[in-house]
Amino acid sequence: MSTRALTPHPTTNLTPVRRSCRRWLGSRRGQKTLTFYLFILPWLLGFIALTVIPLSGGFALSFTNYDGLNLTTMKFLGAGNYTRIFNDADALFSLRRVLLWSALNVPIWLCTSFVLAWLLNHSIRGRGIFRTIFYLPSVIPLVAVTWIGRIMLHQQYGVVNQVINLVLPGTSIKWLSEYALVSLTGVAVWTGIGSGVVIFLAGLQNIPVELEEAALIDGANKWQSLRRVTIPLMTPVIFYQLVLSIVSAMQYFALPMLLSPTSGGNGGVLATPPVRAVYLFMIHAFRQAFGFQRYGYATALTWFLVLFMLVLTAFVFWSSSKWVHSESPEK
Amino acid sequence: MMTASALRWLRNSMIYIVLIGVALILMIPVIWLLITSLKAEHEYVSDHLVLWPQPPQWQNYYLAVTRIDFLKYVRNSAVLSTIFAGLTVTTSAMAGYAFARIPAWGRSRLFSVVVATLLIPGSIYVIPQFIFYSQLRITNSYWPWVLWGLAASPFHIFLFRQFFQAFPVELEEAAEMDGARIHRIFLQIVLPNALPAVATSFILNFLGVWGDWVMTTLYLTDENTTLAVKLISSYFNPQGYPLITPTLAAAVLYVLPPVLVFFLMQKYIMQGVVTSGLKG
Repeated sequence: MSTRALTPHPTTNLTPVRRSCRRWLGSRRGQKTLTFYLFILPWLLGFIALTVIPLSGGFALSFTNYDGLNLTTMKFLGAGNYTRIFNDADALFSLRRVLLWSALNVPIWLCTSFVLAWLLNHSIRGRGIFRTIFYLPSVIPLVAVTWIGRIMLHQQYGVVNQVINLVLPGTSIKWLSEYALVSLTGVAVWTGIGSGVVIFLAGLQNIPVELEEAALIDGANKWQSLRRVTIPLMTPVIFYQLVLSIVSAMQYFALPMLLSPTSGGNGGVLATPPVRAVYLFMIHAFRQAFGFQRYGYATALTWFLVLFMLVLTAFVFWSSSKWVHSESPEK
Repeated sequence: MMTASALRWLRNSMIYIVLIGVALILMIPVIWLLITSLKAEHEYVSDHLVLWPQPPQWQNYYLAVTRIDFLKYVRNSAVLSTIFAGLTVTTSAMAGYAFARIPAWGRSRLFSVVVATLLIPGSIYVIPQFIFYSQLRITNSYWPWVLWGLAASPFHIFLFRQFFQAFPVELEEAAEMDGARIHRIFLQIVLPNALPAVATSFILNFLGVWGDWVMTTLYLTDENTTLAVKLISSYFNPQGYPLITPTLAAAVLYVLPPVLVFFLMQKYIMQGVVTSGLKG
């Protein structure tokens, strides 16, 4: 005979709150919620430890003179680090450099990849092969790109100068020092063009062919179809890529350091400054941290840049109402 | 005036010319790397242009592998990349699945947090995380990558969530009706069918670490560092003079895995790129 009816329910002796918690935990919904949080637990813990803590800790540190070693001798500086930025000639110089760099890189990258994607969008054969070739430089790791840059742009042994010498003997352009910004732009566009083409091509192929055909039937020529139909429809994608590339360009840091003739030894690489022309803002910030142990000042510089980028991005967002066509119902 | 089809032929030809021209220009640096890696040192360190090595110095590749403990650094790179990729894929797939398929209180709010994290510029983490890891005394080791891997990647969580959302729900519903718990559903039904997403995610993460120079320079010593860091400085001969062409050979070897993987997995990699570019 079953004894089940004789044993009291396990929750009978609990308080009402505990009982409803237990019941919930045993229920389907409770189980699922528990499992959900179990599944996201690594991300959640990581988010707290590696995002929240560093961000808030870094922000707090930016108001101190932390030197990486002594928490006891740390002083609270108020906004001292931030005002220091405006008196730091190198910081302001590097800010101007990174703005110039972004102003060069972003438009060139956007235009060339858009034009190439548009060309590829025509019904031509071998589109996949072209796309692969255009994307290949993006796959090449940074260090290999550095070596390619070094052997091509070297003042004496670089192939670029040697080819120019065939026509104009005696040319010895210092690509990596005097024309560092130009070289950097060239290399960056070379590596970056692939992703731009892939993204814009995907966006272009999302545009229904009927729209362009309708425009042609209505009497527009190819050029007008591009201007009045294709580009407006692509503005959301262009806008998104514009914001992303600005944010990315403003933080640019590694390639200028590696391409400069001043690099080449490891150890102090993160602290050795590159050529002045490509002395970008984040390079200055990292130099403060890893070269001079001024961690407080370095985090202040970083937060300053983030704020600056926020303002820039806000401006682009504000301007977007003027030129970005959001998804509107058909005209 | 020309016929319509003749005009079209002309237009297509012009397009082809431009595209082929650009393709050649983009390929020249890669080809030049290959050619120069086969030159004798004096053919590189010369004032005039040497278009083709006479003869090709295949021993540069032998030198590349023997002049330094090349295999050790390849192993370091491979181990570090695998650890990070394996951990990241696991945690991101779990989170992605949870966000896609497990209803719970706070799910959508937490996912907004994930998306918001994507917008944070990466530079802001470098210095604080370095201080964090220094305080934990785990710099000069692979531990930072273990922690990064365990923390999952917002981008890959997003990828997996998208993938799982498109997954037909019938299989999971059937298993649920049979009484299977979520962990079992995930491990035995969902994951085996998620191979494309898992492969893409693993490869993207693996290549990310393989090609990384900044974090590896920051956190590793000469003993346990990756190939990337080792290759930044050139090889030297016993007298202390730099040997550029063997270094280039080493660079070619270093580039081979990413390029090979790219050719094999193009479709998936491009899909990942498109997701990141169009989702906005």
